[in-house]
Amino acid sequence: MSKKSIVTDRSRRKFMQSAAVGATAAVIAPSFIMSPRMANAATLGNVHIEAAKKAKELAAGRNITLKVLQPSGSLGNVKPVADQFTALTGVAVEYLEVPLGEITQKILLEAVAKSGAFDLALPATFGMPDLVESGILVNLDQYASKYEPAGFQDDALFSTGDYYKGSLYGYQTDGDTYVMFYNKDWLENPDENKKFADKNGYELKVPDTWEELDAMMAHFHHPDKGMYGGALFRTQYFLAWEWWVRFHAKGFFPLDDDLNPQINNAAGVEALEEMVAASKHLYPGARTNGLFENFEAFGAGDKFCNIGWGGTQKFLNSDKSSIKGRMAFGPTPGGIVDGKLLRTPYFNWGWNYVVSSVSAEPEIAYLLTLYACSPAMSTVAVRDPDGYFDPFRGAHYEDDAIIKTYSPEFLAVHKASMEGSIPDLYLKGQGEYFDELRTNLGAADAGTKTAKQALDDTAKSWERITRRMGKRSQGVQWSFLKSIYPSSIRNRLK
Amino acid sequence: MNRIPFNIRLVLPAQLTIMAIVVVPTVILLWLAHTDWQPTQNIPWFDAEFYWFWNFYDLWYDERFINSVFRTLFVVATCIAVELFLALGLALLFLDEWPWRKVAVSIIILPMMIIPVDAANAFFMLFNERGPINHLITVITGEVFEFSWLSHPTWAMVPIMLAEIWQWTPLMFLLVLTGLMNLPENQIRAAVGLGASPVRIFFRVMLPLLVPVISIAVVIRAIETFKIFDPVYILTRGQPGGATETISMYMYNGAFVYFRMGYIAAAALLVLFVVVSVCLVLARPLRKHG
Repeated sequence: MSKKSIVTDRSRRKFMQSAAVGATAAVIAPSFIMSPRMANAATLGNVHIEAAKKAKELAAGRNITLKVLQPSGSLGNVKPVADQFTALTGVAVEYLEVPLGEITQKILLEAVAKSGAFDLALPATFGMPDLVESGILVNLDQYASKYEPAGFQDDALFSTGDYYKGSLYGYQTDGDTYVMFYNKDWLENPDENKKFADKNGYELKVPDTWEELDAMMAHFHHPDKGMYGGALFRTQYFLAWEWWVRFHAKGFFPLDDDLNPQINNAAGVEALEEMVAASKHLYPGARTNGLFENFEAFGAGDKFCNIGWGGTQKFLNSDKSSIKGRMAFGPTPGGIVDGKLLRTPYFNWGWNYVVSSVSAEPEIAYLLTLYACSPAMSTVAVRDPDGYFDPFRGAHYEDDAIIKTYSPEFLAVHKASMEGSIPDLYLKGQGEYFDELRTNLGAADAGTKTAKQALDDTAKSWERITRRMGKRSQGVQWSFLKSIYPSSIRNRLK
Repeated sequence: MNRIPFNIRLVLPAQLTIMAIVVVPTVILLWLAHTDWQPTQNIPWFDAEFYWFWNFYDLWYDERFINSVFRTLFVVATCIAVELFLALGLALLFLDEWPWRKVAVSIIILPMMIIPVDAANAFFMLFNERGPINHLITVITGEVFEFSWLSHPTWAMVPIMLAEIWQWTPLMFLLVLTGLMNLPENQIRAAVGLGASPVRIFFRVMLPLLVPVISIAVVIRAIETFKIFDPVYILTRGQPGGATETISMYMYNGAFVYFRMGYIAAAALLVLFVVVSVCLVLARPLRKHG
């Protein structure tokens, strides 16, 4: 895709996004999006300084400690920023870490307990709808209209997850789009290239389609020689994300306009069968290893490909990895739909700064989120080589330290993916929808269900979940979600 | 106050306590089972919308729930059978006095004193792909063995059940040993005097006399094993594809991950019905013995 077409697509997308947010807001809840911003002194360049000033005024010399609930491993990103906030405002910050996969659950528990255990949190972006519905998140519209400068989100490459039913509930702080990593030495090996081309009729390259990727993984998989086709995830928590991309790349939305699941159609079944077949060409730990073990596994240099995020690259491009400097990168492979390649990069994780509705100091907590996600301070956070927050603002890609941490080759792929990413299923009950999907995909991968059975069972469960969550309300949010798929993808999905 | 008879006054505090800790929660459970209450919806439980019998209807068609119930029953049957077999064998070994017997008993009951999460974690390490079990098989067979026990839909249940059996056989052993030590000696002496073989004495005299103790041990262990959670959570979390999801794991996910308290209350009622039915069957021998 040329730079021009990316820009054009991005502009169209921004327009559609604004239009959709506006339309949804008009239907659901009039919010700051519909009202003019209050004038304030902040600009994009000094928003962090203005936020700190306001926080200091509000603190008014009181001893205030904000407690931040954050996923384990993110301290490297959060602390440098919070330390500077403390130095400017006198507001202390305490950190409470919880395991990566449990943070949404912990925040939901707080919605029940209302203990004031934390003031801010960093939930995974896909958990936002459930958190909003639980009432634990502060609607940030009022604060945003008071403090957020115009254009604050303009260079944010993915801010869809910040909004729910037209209102602002958090700020994206991590650009977690899925990208592919390849062993460049293997990819450029002339002998392997000849063998592969003789067998498949085309040469080794960064694959365009899942079919090509699967063929390459099969080609390189020789466990007896200590070579494995890939390190793609088959652990249940991560499993569904790969299938989600494979399915979209076949040209379908997961739900139709009436919220009937389309995941169990022929394309969905085919995508799952292909994914299960590809499992044969993965390394032995693919079904048990978690996130950090996956980094280490691919870092060993004996696997052809891996799937992951910027955080993966932070590890692989460090001295802890033996494959540093020997990788090629690509967007997630696509599929051929109506004779043309369709790529569907996927923003599947990410973290958002949010404010707890039981915080005693919600306004100061909001100002810390604004401070942390400002262009200047988010650059500091993303720079940290020990954390896993990835670039999510256009300016991040120009920062020398960030370029050094990630490498220019990786950042080019990452940026293009961020700009064209499809959103996750940001519906109320996202956790339940995906739990059913993960469990059934896991069953298909383990061989206890056929692909068709697994997806039919998932579809039945999804229908029940939709019925419980309220079809009408889910329908409104689904229409909104569809509208914010990048137009180049949306127009080709059925 | 004087109008209340003295005997009633004596039992009233106890009755009120029981009401508070048993009846009230049960009534709440019954109410919740007929609602779709989720604490995360910002609605108090008593204001939840009445849902009639939809939860039970959904549970009937919830394949994961049905599978988890049957899977748990399988785990209970397997673990109890193995534990009973091992406990009987060990108890017979420890029936007579021999040097260091008391020390050996103390060592045997040690697993029972370990925190279940730690025990489960030990089995997680043992059955890891690069763990000691695979290493041992590699050494014995001479070929690299990297079997992924915990991600195999059939074999993943084995480490879970082994962890449970390893930890709780000592309890069964203690109960059975106590029963054996208290058997009436005159009947056994009479059998010996009549020339019965040790095997015949065990099966025809000792085992029938031991039935009440075994029944109690089995019922206690069945109830406990039905609630198996720690090894499942630590080793597999119900994976792969729900192949090791027991009823406790299913209910944990429903109640504390997705906060579907109403639905899980209905599931809990059904499970209570299953557990009581199973225990009544297991306790039948006790009724025969008066």
